[in-house]
Amino acid sequence: MKKLTTLAAAALMLGTSSLAYAETKIGILMDITGPIANFIPPLQNAANLAVKHVNDQGGLLGGEVVAVYGDTTGTAQGAVDAAQKLVNIENVPIVMGSLMSGTTIAAAEAAIIPAGVAQISPTATSPAMTDLQDDGLVFRIVPSDNYQGEILAKMVLDEGLNKVAVTYVNNDYGVGIGQTFMEAYKAAGGEIVAENKHEEKKDSYRSELASLAKGDADALVVIAYAGDSGGKIVRQSIEGGLFDKFVGTDGLRDELLIQNVGADALKTSFFSSPTSPAENPAQKTLHDAFNAEYGEGADKAFVDQTYDATFLALLAVEKAGSTDRAKMADALREVAMAPGEKVGPGEWAKAVALIKEGKDIDYDGASGSAEFDENGDVGGFIGKFVVDGDGYKQIAIVE
Amino acid sequence: MELTGLFFYIVSLLILGGIYALLCLALNVQWGMGGLFNAGIAGFYGVGAYTSAILTTAASGRHLGGFSMPVPMGLVGAAIVAGVTGWAVARICVRLKSDYLAMASIGIAEILRLVFVNESWLTNGSLGVSRIPRPFADFTTGRMSDVAFLGFVWVIVLLVYVATTRLYDSPWGRSLRAIRDNETSASAAGKNVEKFRVQTFVIGCAVMGIAGGLSAHYFRFLSPTATDPLLTTFLVWVMLMAGGSGNNRGAILGALSIWTIWSVTEIFTNRLPPEWATRSSFIRMLLVGLLLQVVLQRFRAGLLPEKSPPVRFRKD
Repeated sequence: MKKLTTLAAAALMLGTSSLAYAETKIGILMDITGPIANFIPPLQNAANLAVKHVNDQGGLLGGEVVAVYGDTTGTAQGAVDAAQKLVNIENVPIVMGSLMSGTTIAAAEAAIIPAGVAQISPTATSPAMTDLQDDGLVFRIVPSDNYQGEILAKMVLDEGLNKVAVTYVNNDYGVGIGQTFMEAYKAAGGEIVAENKHEEKKDSYRSELASLAKGDADALVVIAYAGDSGGKIVRQSIEGGLFDKFVGTDGLRDELLIQNVGADALKTSFFSSPTSPAENPAQKTLHDAFNAEYGEGADKAFVDQTYDATFLALLAVEKAGSTDRAKMADALREVAMAPGEKVGPGEWAKAVALIKEGKDIDYDGASGSAEFDENGDVGGFIGKFVVDGDGYKQIAIVE
Repeated sequence: MELTGLFFYIVSLLILGGIYALLCLALNVQWGMGGLFNAGIAGFYGVGAYTSAILTTAASGRHLGGFSMPVPMGLVGAAIVAGVTGWAVARICVRLKSDYLAMASIGIAEILRLVFVNESWLTNGSLGVSRIPRPFADFTTGRMSDVAFLGFVWVIVLLVYVATTRLYDSPWGRSLRAIRDNETSASAAGKNVEKFRVQTFVIGCAVMGIAGGLSAHYFRFLSPTATDPLLTTFLVWVMLMAGGSGNNRGAILGALSIWTIWSVTEIFTNRLPPEWATRSSFIRMLLVGLLLQVVLQRFRAGLLPEKSPPVRFRKD
């Protein structure tokens, strides 16, 4: 049995590698199995779409590009093991991923940084990413939780809410934003009348809500996902008449929430979410391309970021002109940051032409403009969203 | 694939393989020798990992300590704290019959995991402990530090192997096997069953703690994602079963071979045609599962079955 599997697999390996000449590999690390498995299929589509755009428009370095996936299994052990395979066996020059902060940092620290490979994460928001000793190799295109927490505090105070109750989900996302929010909010003169850290995947949050409602707060700040605890908390507080005004983050800003509780109940609520400056045609371009290819799913969480990170990784390889690992981090900064001729999602042929002419390019993606600071972080823009019909409308941008 | 890449991949395979070998040796003391069904390996592994991480990192406001101690001190601390935790657990649960002990220990591992996630003053909760040092960090850089770490891990594996092999052959180990095979007769022969079991449990847990500490130093970053029961409890059981429960060499062989299969299958499933790409990770899990079924059904005693130590008489 074992022999048979090995043989079959070896045959497959030979079969594909003989077809592929002048192909370039890029590594894609995702938490495919494990706790966030249900987020992944649209994100794999997003990464594949970026690869397809490149291959349809002339390819990378004059040949095919192949995305090699590594599955972290959502654990540190799996992340390190998968990353070691990407950098050592597949010999990729750059890695896109992974998604959870815990797997991203473990893979970076134990495998990717030591091998001198650049890494760009679409969604890892942990503040610990900022001060990694990474020789400038690790990037991300979402703002750190610290950043969103601070902006959210400012937004809530500007709204005239001086007394709030806070509940956040007990994972790196919720704790990261929740704690910085509370610190910044208190420092700026706000009062937190009740706070609560809750676990995911429960059916009822009524007891948590009962204690949160005691302090007579102006609003409830919910830092959780709409598909899980966040949606239930909002619904159960409306049912119980405990809160009628909610402040949410990007995890809660999901059409699912409107479907669950109705737009009327959310009239006075608002949401913060990383966004792009003012009118961003790039997002629409990407969503149209995505839905044309896969039918649906462009509005799913982190699709924009995953596409952008993959596309940026591919641009960096093209810019470097070879798969030389040492050049990747600098090339990534050059293609992502101003100044330069603007390039958007799907505009691979244009980007390649500009690079060939020796011109500097600046990729502005669907998720933002990806201007890195010295730590490989992005500041980015946080938008304020309110419910508008079945969707959300951006009413202000805070930088 | 270039040769240096292959070399460093094998290094990484052997580092994690070595850490699993330690977990297997520890489980072999508890199950192979003592017959104690510990299904909470992840808990003691996590205790060791966090202890070593907190002892060796530089001072930080985000979690308890860091105390900037050298790595070997961190590992000694990991063994002690995991051992003491094991002792406390053993005092309560060790009298339970095997399957009930399994249930209790799963519960304990879950309690410990919730402590890691929730007690942020101690562990920084889900944000984790970062900048954990590696041994010999001053002498090596980049990927060479993996090679040095490989040596470090396997020296510890060797020490634990020698120690557990001595234990196995000792009067203590023989009494333990007597208890495992027939508790009543061992107790009739005057052996204090509970005391032996507590000792076994503590020794096993201390070694699991060391394995946890080593992984924290290898990853350089520790968050609750490292204490997933699939990869730290159930995989270890499979390794010991495949390698040969009751046999220390079998434990090491099982750890290395199962980890290699687990890791290498991904290289092959990645070469499936693109329309399978989104499913390849799940196919890999399926293949590994199937393979383990075959091993468990066909080779129940494992690759290297238990061999009773020879009876020696002193010749005067």
